Parts: sequence; C-alpha cells; structure tokens
Amino acid sequence: MDIGVIIAGILTLAIYTFLYKDNPIYRAAESLLIGLAMGYVLVIYWQTAFMDRIFSPLLNESDWWVLIPLILGLLMFSRFSRKYSWLSRIPIALMIGAGAGVAIPAMLYARTLKQISASVMPLITESGGFNFEALVVIVGLLSTLTYFYFSREHKGIIGKVAKLGTYFLMLFFGATFGYTVMSRMSTFIGRIDFLLSDFLHIIK
Amino acid sequence: MSKDKIRWIIFAGLFLFVTLAYTIDIKMVSSPSYEVQKSFDYIESLPEGTILMVSFDHEASSLPEVQPISLVMIRHAFRNNLRIVGLSLFAEGTAIGYRTLNKIAAEYDKIYGVDYVFLGFKPQHIAAILGMGESIYDVFPHDYLGNLTDTIPIMIGIENYDNIEMVISITDGDRAVQWIEYAGPRYDQKVMTGLTAAMITSYDPYLSSGQLFSVVGGLKGAAEYENLYGVPGKGNRGMPAQTAAHLYLIVMIIIGNIIYFRNRKRQGRSS
Amino acid sequence: MPTRLPLLICLVSGVVMFLQYFSRHPVAKLIYQTVTNDWWQVIFAFTLIVGVASFIKITLRKISQKKDKTYSLIALGGLILMPVLALIGGTNIESPFQWAFENLLAPMQATVFSLLAFFVASASFRGFRARSIPAAILLGTALLVLIGRLPIAEHISESIPDLTFWIKNYPSMAARRAILIGIGLGSMTTALRVILGIERTYLSGK
Repeated sequence: MDIGVIIAGILTLAIYTFLYKDNPIYRAAESLLIGLAMGYVLVIYWQTAFMDRIFSPLLNESDWWVLIPLILGLLMFSRFSRKYSWLSRIPIALMIGAGAGVAIPAMLYARTLKQISASVMPLITESGGFNFEALVVIVGLLSTLTYFYFSREHKGIIGKVAKLGTYFLMLFFGATFGYTVMSRMSTFIGRIDFLLSDFLHIIK
Repeated sequence: MSKDKIRWIIFAGLFLFVTLAYTIDIKMVSSPSYEVQKSFDYIESLPEGTILMVSFDHEASSLPEVQPISLVMIRHAFRNNLRIVGLSLFAEGTAIGYRTLNKIAAEYDKIYGVDYVFLGFKPQHIAAILGMGESIYDVFPHDYLGNLTDTIPIMIGIENYDNIEMVISITDGDRAVQWIEYAGPRYDQKVMTGLTAAMITSYDPYLSSGQLFSVVGGLKGAAEYENLYGVPGKGNRGMPAQTAAHLYLIVMIIIGNIIYFRNRKRQGRSS
Repeated sequence: MPTRLPLLICLVSGVVMFLQYFSRHPVAKLIYQTVTNDWWQVIFAFTLIVGVASFIKITLRKISQKKDKTYSLIALGGLILMPVLALIGGTNIESPFQWAFENLLAPMQATVFSLLAFFVASASFRGFRARSIPAAILLGTALLVLIGRLPIAEHISESIPDLTFWIKNYPSMAARRAILIGIGLGSMTTALRVILGIERTYLSGK
C-alpha cells in the first residue's frame, strides 16, 4: 500500500479520536495541521507574491518600481517594534483605502441596486394572472428590512411588519441549516469513502 | 444518562449508519434541479473550442464535496471539446486544480497548453479578479509550470475576459461572490459556480437577479449533473450515505422534540 | 505624523481608486493595475508573513516557558517542514512538498471539517426545539430541506422537492436579499467613513 495513504489514514483516525474526547493524539495531529497549513501558505505566497511580483521583475527586468511595494511590505514588520509600529499603518492605510475605493461602486451596483431592481417585479403578468411569487419576494424583502431597522421602536404596525420579517428570516435560516447539514454530511461521507476504499480497501 | 454518553451514542450511531449505507452501492436516480439542468444545457450548447475559465476557489477541507462537481463539469467540457483555462484564488486550490485538470485531460487525450492550461494561484483575490479584466498576462505572467503565459498556444489572444465565455468558480465560500461583484458589472463577465451545499442559500439573490448564471450545489448537485452527463461518479456513489445521514438527523430532531414536549408537559402538570 | 500620514494615504488611495472606476483612460488603467495587481498583492503577502512571524514568536515563547511544549514543537516542526521540502524538491506536482500537502495536510483538514457533521447531529438532538412559532418555522423548513433534497423525496411526493425549491427561491431568498442589501449599504457607508478618516479602527483606535 502507498505509504502516503497509510499516513493519511492514521492522521484521519487521529483526528476522529476527538469524538471521544480531547486527547493528546488529537492535539498532536491538530498542532501538526496548524504548522503544515502555515508552512504551505508561506511557500505558495513566497512563490506567487515575492518571486513573481518582486524578485523576478527586479532581477530579470530591472524594474525598480517594484521597490515601492517591497518597502511598503517591509514596513509591516515595524509592528514588532513599539517605537516604530506606527509605520505599519502606512501599507495598511493604502490597502484599506484602495479596497474601500474599489468596493464602493461594486457594493453600490452589484450588491444594492441590482438586488433592489431584481425585487421589483410585475404583480400582474401579461396573461392577466397574479404573480404570487413577486408579492412574496417584495413582502419578504420589506418586512425583513423593517426587522433590521432599529431607528424606531418595533411597536404598532412596524412591530407587526418586523415580526413578519422574523418569519421570513426563520425560513432562510431553516433552509440554510438544512443545506449546511447536507454539506457537513457530504464532507463526512468523503472521509468515509477514503477510509473504506483507499485506506482499508473494504470497498472498491 | 450523562450528557457525554448521549453524545457518544449519537456520534457512534451516525458513524455506523453512514458507513453501512456507504457500503451499499445502489443508484438513486432523481430529476435534476432547474439550476443543474441549466448549467448542463449551457455547457452542452457551447461550440467546440470555446474557452471556459475554471477557478478552483476552495480549500482542501471541502474537497470531498466540491471535487465531484469539478470532476463532472470538466469532463463534460472536455467531452464537448471546450478549452479550459484553470487557476486558483485559494492557495490550497493550486495543486488540487492542476491535478484535477491533468487527470481528466488524460482521460480525453487533451494536450496541455493547447486544450487546457493551469495558470496557478494569485494572492489577494479581488486584485486578481480585477486585474484579469485588464490583462490576464499581467496577473499571471507565467503559468503553473513556469511557461510565459502569452506564448502558450491556448492563451494567445486571450488577453482578458473579452475572450472568456464563462467563469466557473468551484468554491466553498464567497469567492464566487467576488467574481460576480467585481468581474460581473465592470467587465460584463458571465459567472457560474459549483459550490458546497452550505453556501447555496447565500447565492440565491444573485441567481434571482441574474447576476449569477447558475449553480451546481453540493454532492447532490454533482450526482444530478453526473446523471445528465451519463456517467455516475462520486456524487452518485455518495447518495445512499447522504440519504442515511439525513434520515438519521431527522430522527434525532424528532426524538429530541418528543423528549422536550414530554418534559414540558410533565413540568406543566407538576407546577 | 503617526496618525495623519496614514489617514492622508488612505484618503488619497481611496479617492483615486474610486475615481478610476469612471475612467477608461490608459493612465487611470495603469494606476489601477499597479495598485491592485502589484502593490496590493505584495502588501497582502507581507501581512501574511507578519502573521507567520508572530505565530513563530508566540510558539517559541511557549516552548521556552514549557507551556504545551510538545504540541508547540510539533506545530513549529510542521511549519518548518513545508519550506524545507520546497527547498529540497521544489513545488512541482510530483515534489515532496506536494506529497506532504496531499497526504498530510489535505486529509487532516477534510477530517477536521467533517467533525462538524457529528456536532451538527448532536446539536440537532439537544437544541433544535419547536419552542415558539419562529422556532417551529425554522425547524419545519430545515426538515423539509433535509427531506426535499434527497433522491427519494420525489418518489414519496413530487410536491416535496417543489416546495423545497419554492421556499428556497422566494421567501428564503427574499430574507437573504434583505440581509445582502443591508450588508451592501453598510459596507458602502463604512468604506466612505474609512476614506474620509471617520472610521479609524484600523489605526488601533487612534
């Protein structure tokens, strides 16, 4: 049998020991996982960000402009110094500012306007029929938004509409819960597949 | 009975029930959902040579759930002689993406660089998505193997999204949202996603508004797609166990509620 | 200086990146490309390195204090192992680095994630109760989805999957849309506050 599969199988079982209770085998596997995950990401980022974006343009193409992001990036390490830690705010400010600038049009158009316009659907169809779904969507949207409107006390008509909003929210949470269960079970089935077919060769 | 014991019984029950169900290899056929049918029909309708961008935007943790989706969708694309530009916006998706593409390409005798390519991973996904709208060559100067991107046959003339028919984001989180919100409005890029079931309801508003073309969700979505494709795979294989797991959970919820209402009734009587 | 300079940089970068959205001029494109593609990615990678450095610092401190020494050593060993493997054999698909990813990291990650299946089962038994009308709606919908997405559902009754999809596509979607619009408006407001220097939490409260 492939040595890699044996190790993967043992580690899988080591993680599952947690189902009994927290124990040294699980903690050792968990610690190894944390270390390996960090190491993996470190290597991939080293290659994709540092080699591709800094060293390669600098050494091969003498592109001196890349010194700017390099210096900005190095400023991040000032966080380890009490005296100069404020310098790390410069790259953070650049990233946050640029991110905010790019996000405004995207949030405005894709997340807000498009969603609002998609909610306004004709209630009467071309054939003269009543579009019940359109009514459900608009009532659901407005009542849920009312529930999240905290500038006024939820009393009277606002209270009633907000309560209706909670029912819509419960439908959403219920559906999400159902799908989440589906998802988690699928992941578990994937591990069972590995254990039974690759590791133990019980099934083909 | 102590809380720990109850927990262990529930855990052991789930383990045994699902494991036993997984050993039963029966085909459970069901009609495809509207979204899966739409995804399949769209890929089916594309002319040969069309370029799809498949982004492996997930971690290794969700591999058991999303890999059956990516396998069947890529198989379908290759069978129809579509070309694929692969990439990853998750560090862990890099090796997964390359291996998945290579594995299926070998089944269909597809040639690397001509029929498909894997560009690798780029950090800061929003920057990468936005950057590719201007120039894919700038974001990925080299492919995963180190070849210059603009010299790879499949990539010649593929400068930005203008030449990409559809982005298929295989994701376990909100990466596809970023494709929709950043590549969609600014570059008019069509987006489809294969995602974990847990994320399905989060994408419903985008589907309803037409910002997202379609969704293939979870192991069930993969099974439905496999049935349409005509070759059962891991999705179908997992359906008996998935059914067993759901039934087990339903029983657990019902028993839990029966106990709760019985206790409440007793407490009401005693008070 | 420690506060004003970052605020100024944030303001300038925010305004420039916002305005470039409305321009197709090559200069605007160049600025946009340089900031998003080159600068942003590199700085982001450095933030990750700082995170790793911080983790190493804390782990070494733990080791010297003999607090969870064995586990800290294992974590540190794993962290060192990956770069060492990459240095020895590179990172191509057949390298020891990728072997470690596929046989050590990936199975453990998937297994940790699959533990949630058990906790969901346990939590459903203990806490998923129809205590009130909203709770009953939540419970009923969850049960419906659990049944409705099974391959056997349509064999029991065709209306089960139909109802499942109807709830998902209309009332559930409407609630999710409301949340999404709320997040969109909130994100925009926060972005504006950040650019204008009203929101300064990223400066550690200064």
